[in-house]
Amino acid sequence: MTYMHIGKDFTPPDVEAKVTGAARYAEDFKKDGMVFARLLTSPIPAGRVVSIDASAALAMPGVLGIFTADDLPEAKPPANPALAKEWVTYIGQPILAVAAESDFLAEEALSKIVVEYQRRPFVVDPLDTLVEGGPDPYPMGNTLIRNSGEAAAGTTASGTDVGRIKWSIDQVTAFRNGREPMGAEFGSEWEYGDLAAQFAACSTVIEEPFVTIGQPHHSLESRTGMAYWENGKCYFHGSLQSHTVGHNALAGMLEMDPANLVFINENTGGGFGSKIFPYPVMAVTGRFARALNRPVQLRITRDEEFYIGSARSGMQGWIKIGLKENGRVGAVDVAIINDAGSGGGGSGSSSAEHISIMFQPEAMRFRGLSLYTNTTPRGAQRGPGQNEMAAVLAPMMDKAANLAGLDRVAFRRTNAPRMDGKIGERQGGISSSYMPEAIDKAAEMFNWQQKIAQPKQISATKVRGIGVGQGFHTAGANGYDGLIRIAPDGTIYLHTGVGNLGTYSYAAVVRAAAEALQCNWDNCVVVHGNSDLNLPHSTYQGGSNTIFTETRSSHVAALDIIEKMKEIAMAEFGGSTADYSIGEERVFLTSDSSKGMSYGEAAQKAIEMGGKYSGMEYPENINATTQRSVQAMAGTGLIGVAKDLLPRSGAVPGMAIAFVEIELDKETGKFEILDYSAVAECGTVVHPQGLSQAMNGGGVWGFGMAQSERHVYDPQNGLPANVGLYQSKPPTYLDVPLNMNTVGMDMPDPQSPVGARGIGEPAQGCAVAALMSAFSDALDGHLFNRTPVTADMIVNHVAQNGFNTGNLKTNTF
Amino acid sequence: MDIIRYRKDVWGEEVILGVSWDLLWVIAVTAFLLLAAHAIFMAALAKKKAMPSAEGKRVHRHDAIDRAFHWIMAGSVLVLIFTGIAPIIGIRVSWLNIHWIAGLVLSFVCIFHTIRALFWQDFKSMLLGPADFKEPFDESIKPGKYSFEQKGMHWAMTVLVVAVIATGITLLLHIDTPWWDRPSVDDEGTLGIWFLLHGTATLGLIAFTAIHIYFALRPEKRFYTRSMVKGWISEDELKENHDTNKWKQD
Amino acid sequence: MSSHDVMPEMSLYQPVRVEDAIGIANQFADRGWLVGGGQDTYGWLKDRAKSADALIDLKGIESMRGVKETADGIEIGALVTLTEITKDPIIAQRYPLLAQAAGRVASPQIRNVGTIAGNVSQDVRCWYYRRGLNCYRAGGNLCYADTPEGMNREHAIFNASRCVAVTPSDTGPALVALEAQMVINNASGQRVVAAEEFFVGPNLDIQNTTVLRPGDILTAVRIPSKWANAQFYFEKVADRNAWDFALVSLSAVMRVNNGVIEDSRIVVGAVQATPRRLTEVEQAVRGKARNDSTADSIGDLASRTANPLNYNHFKMPLMDNLVKRALRGQA
Ligand SMILES: Cc1cc2nc3c(=O)[nH]c(=O)nc-3n(C[C@H](O)[C@H](O)[C@H](O)COP(=O)(O)OP(=O)(O)OC[C@H]3O[C@@H](n4cnc5c(N)ncnc54)[C@H](O)[C@@H]3O)c2cc1C
Ligand code: HEM
Ligand code: SF4
Repeated sequence: MTYMHIGKDFTPPDVEAKVTGAARYAEDFKKDGMVFARLLTSPIPAGRVVSIDASAALAMPGVLGIFTADDLPEAKPPANPALAKEWVTYIGQPILAVAAESDFLAEEALSKIVVEYQRRPFVVDPLDTLVEGGPDPYPMGNTLIRNSGEAAAGTTASGTDVGRIKWSIDQVTAFRNGREPMGAEFGSEWEYGDLAAQFAACSTVIEEPFVTIGQPHHSLESRTGMAYWENGKCYFHGSLQSHTVGHNALAGMLEMDPANLVFINENTGGGFGSKIFPYPVMAVTGRFARALNRPVQLRITRDEEFYIGSARSGMQGWIKIGLKENGRVGAVDVAIINDAGSGGGGSGSSSAEHISIMFQPEAMRFRGLSLYTNTTPRGAQRGPGQNEMAAVLAPMMDKAANLAGLDRVAFRRTNAPRMDGKIGERQGGISSSYMPEAIDKAAEMFNWQQKIAQPKQISATKVRGIGVGQGFHTAGANGYDGLIRIAPDGTIYLHTGVGNLGTYSYAAVVRAAAEALQCNWDNCVVVHGNSDLNLPHSTYQGGSNTIFTETRSSHVAALDIIEKMKEIAMAEFGGSTADYSIGEERVFLTSDSSKGMSYGEAAQKAIEMGGKYSGMEYPENINATTQRSVQAMAGTGLIGVAKDLLPRSGAVPGMAIAFVEIELDKETGKFEILDYSAVAECGTVVHPQGLSQAMNGGGVWGFGMAQSERHVYDPQNGLPANVGLYQSKPPTYLDVPLNMNTVGMDMPDPQSPVGARGIGEPAQGCAVAALMSAFSDALDGHLFNRTPVTADMIVNHVAQNGFNTGNLKTNTF
Repeated sequence: MDIIRYRKDVWGEEVILGVSWDLLWVIAVTAFLLLAAHAIFMAALAKKKAMPSAEGKRVHRHDAIDRAFHWIMAGSVLVLIFTGIAPIIGIRVSWLNIHWIAGLVLSFVCIFHTIRALFWQDFKSMLLGPADFKEPFDESIKPGKYSFEQKGMHWAMTVLVVAVIATGITLLLHIDTPWWDRPSVDDEGTLGIWFLLHGTATLGLIAFTAIHIYFALRPEKRFYTRSMVKGWISEDELKENHDTNKWKQD
Repeated sequence: MSSHDVMPEMSLYQPVRVEDAIGIANQFADRGWLVGGGQDTYGWLKDRAKSADALIDLKGIESMRGVKETADGIEIGALVTLTEITKDPIIAQRYPLLAQAAGRVASPQIRNVGTIAGNVSQDVRCWYYRRGLNCYRAGGNLCYADTPEGMNREHAIFNASRCVAVTPSDTGPALVALEAQMVINNASGQRVVAAEEFFVGPNLDIQNTTVLRPGDILTAVRIPSKWANAQFYFEKVADRNAWDFALVSLSAVMRVNNGVIEDSRIVVGAVQATPRRLTEVEQAVRGKARNDSTADSIGDLASRTANPLNYNHFKMPLMDNLVKRALRGQA
């Protein structure tokens, strides 16, 4: 299909400001009378606050007040509290905030506050709390259990409690040593097919342990916020990945009417899953401002961002994989323990889902347990669950394929999901899949056959490694609203409540509306980033879903406005709407294009006609947020507004396949990526540069995940070692290849009006998987069974000195 | 001036770090002043009494093995003091290994010395009883083998040396040695108390060592020092300073 | 616990003459802090892990800038930045080892401001210590890294004495290899210390990494012509190829005649608190050909006496491998 906008590059409106530094982030906003708030955080990994003596701080001139857990609704564990009191569960956990006339004063004041703590036992490794007699991270236990309770007002988590699951020493020992923990209790479990029968039918069976460590999100823009209250309204400058979808939750945290909240967030310096929805500390910013009746900037420093900015959950696991003679994966049995940190949770089930869709096993069982530790809270991070699994699975699948005498790529193609692919526990369908074709395309781009025929040894010390890996994430939701206004001057305002987390998807998605309207992009204005600008209720920016979900809502809003223009024209020129067409920003009688009007004229008419045309009326099924926006704009132009009710079924898979060739130096454990080729199976490509950015960015991060990114805790003291960004070791420019060859399959998904599915997360998963597979290939099939694989591990392996980083330890290397 | 130094432990709580080394200077200056005063006082009081002659019959005072013990102890204590305070006063020497090895030498010698004294020597000759306290005030009372001052010095040194050994070995258990690796420290406050005791005993030892050396070098006591080298004193010296009834030659 | 985003209050001095700087340094003694590029300094101060009453910014002292030729080699002003070192034509030509080492420090931004004096005088990178914990090196009475559970992958395998931190400097080993002389000025005049003696381990001084004392200013680094245009080998292995400290680095200079190693100095970084000279290896290869078989003959001579901790055994083979590469003359 030939499109006007879809599949074409464009310059997103915020690019220039980003490049020149003019773009403003939450911390850049100042307000007259603004005061500076700073956090006092816990120096202990577990315990409770006994008393707080802030008298000396409050006596300092210029210090305005403190804000403690007592000023907030009580958050019951395991809800992550904005400020802790009874349950201090990690070093760095916020205890209180202090506000002062200057940042400097606020810091000085902090040093004068005396907090008395009572310490409790703590634990930093899930297996240490799992074993009977092991310490619990909360006095009540070590894992999340469900109840039917409601969330307290102003807090988020509902229906959850902290409970306790323990295994015997034998079970933990078996698990640590890579064996199935017989009879052990798990927190969640699912299964399909006849596992035992399928394993019995398999000719190749492997059993492996695995561990992946956490990684802090370390968003470059820390979660500093600034809030002030004026005439009963709260103006909040914050940093979220999403925009309007978080509005009500934020209002809830501040216990206020969402209609009175103005959330301003034009640019976001990274969130990676940690800022999808409002996070606890925002409650402090907004409420402290209200309490002081002054604008408050609550600055989050770099190390605080490490502590409260979330981290990927580590996994410790065991897996058994069976292959049949015909090369199909017959059965998979996987058990995963997730490190949920002091709050949040693991994504074990999503990890298992990765296996289920990428290899379509005929029978599968997943057992999972998410355990708390006294480490930073965990949350979604790019491809949570799936990408860690992709990383450890790739070399294991290679091993199975090699044992079965199968070509690693042919094996993946055999098992790849087709149109009738199934996913997860319920074995539901998917919207579409061109994965076999994508594998073929990528293999061809990479020259797989030729590459594997090359000699392994490159020089005396260097060996070649060739890897292949897949990434997957469900990448689509539905049911959100689209909103468009055409002004009498013909300008087309494409409103979106999508956040601007740096992917430019907020602008890419509304091009689906421009496409439907067949209008000139120069006449379009993307309206976003400030709820006072009348934004619709849009999807969350997480789970790679934005492209799919929001091209749909943009599309339906465009259809609505086109329909309305046709009706307006019909009122003027007669006939039925079916007799009208659009083109060149005009609506006209198909039979006589001279009979028609420009979009601007239609807008003028809409104002005159009122009702649904000018937003005086609107459909009832749209979200309250969208309703408020329509109300605010009513009478100012032609309004297109609709909820996405387009047909939709099954999961929407975002998938990718990558190949990598490395040259590994066995003397240093260092390597160079000689070639990286990847194909995104994400439906129609909406924005080619955006796609290549997602694939490159994801690839870079995948390389980091494979080789260096880390979450390190000292188990003796519960101390984190990678508070600084440089200590967390994201890859640098010199650690990744200069050129990365990536393309999209560009085959339309039938459930998207423009054929598009998302890709963000799989872009990382396929890269980390391919690199892990290449390490293993370079070292004659050796499995590290972990991420990351750092230079020291390679050197130890080559030296055969018997040292590795400890069996199945998370939070370490 | 502080007496005790504190620091924040890993949890940010204040714990004892050790003794304040300002006291080192206090001890050094005080000891110096006291000894100087004593020297001046003694010089002023000097009765110009002739010192007993070292010639003539020799009386055995210390066995070779005991002399060896003494000098090994003395040497190790001096080495320990030097190596212990060198880093504190800013002298760059690779002190720690020498220090703990000397510490072990001292410990072993002390153990041998104690065993020998208990079972092979006249242990009672060193006991300090109530009667001994009359000695300094009554010129007519002469001591047996050891004078009141000597017994006092011996027991003070004993207490201090036992203290540095006990605390020193505890500290030794907290560092890497060829036999063991450093353990984790659960309670940093307790460790601090060991450092405090080791440091305090060090201060005491420095003071008493200074006094001990001072007296060992004093003219009227120098023959004791010789006896610690050569093993004997003269009969004159014996008669002048000891009550032969109380000192039974072994 | 609180975290800091603003600098503490301190007075700032910007002397333009060495004598003035010395005067100010003496006045503040251990409460004064010399600053070259500030790349090590600012982190300490901002985090309040260390403090000072006065910052003595040396950047205005012209006499401490520039690379000069001398009768016996070159003299590098203490304020010469690492970037300048990588670009200096004389250094690039005669002592490329130093240029390479400087070029692998940190990141371009840090190299642009970081000075050679600051690079050799920087403090260790042990993360416990940098966190502001009161360990031995901070004047305390225990080490958090050297415990059965300590996370000490980056720490020392040699010559630890209670503190197991390693020298983080990339240029330090190169300077030791080149037999550089460190020119130190203080109120009583000037003294010149061999680079090898400039660095001190925890056995001698657990709180300082160099011989510098308050009131001392490193004014220049002299490199004798002895090793000019010799054969060199530099390699640094870090987790990342930029913006990262060495896991192990190696700097070697060799005088090779007709393929035979007449003399050499091989110095390793990040394995102990000071640059470690491999004298045994140097002796073993004297008179041998610079080739694969000599490289192989060395085996694990370099690492044999190492004393690894829980997580750093890898430094032993890694170091041996780097030695082999240096002797082979290629990666
Ligand atoms: C993220 C990061 C990564 C880094 N990576 C590396 C690396 O890979 N390799 C590496 O070698 N280093 C690395 N560094 C360390 C170091 O900061 C830089 O190498 C830099 O060279 C330090 O120089 P400076 O002039 O900025 O030091 P400053 O901070 O100015 O000084 C450092 C110390 O030296 C003292 N000092 C400075 N000048 C003098 C003088 N003339 N006389 C006496 N004392 C003086 C200061 O008082 C201070 O104690 C890194 C630092 C950071 C922050
Ligand atoms: C005359 C006897 C001794 C003196 C004067 C002495 C003095 C000192 C001093 C001053 C210190 C430094 C303490 C500090 O920094 O707070 C020290 C440390 C130490 N001493 Fe001794 N000491 C003596 C005997 C011993 C003995 C007998 C041993 C053990 C066998 C010992 C083992 C140690 C150890 C291991 C340390 C280092 C502890 C550490 O820094 O972790 N010492 N000593
Ligand atoms: S290695 Fe040194 S710097 Fe690190 S904690 Fe131990 S004593 Fe401190």
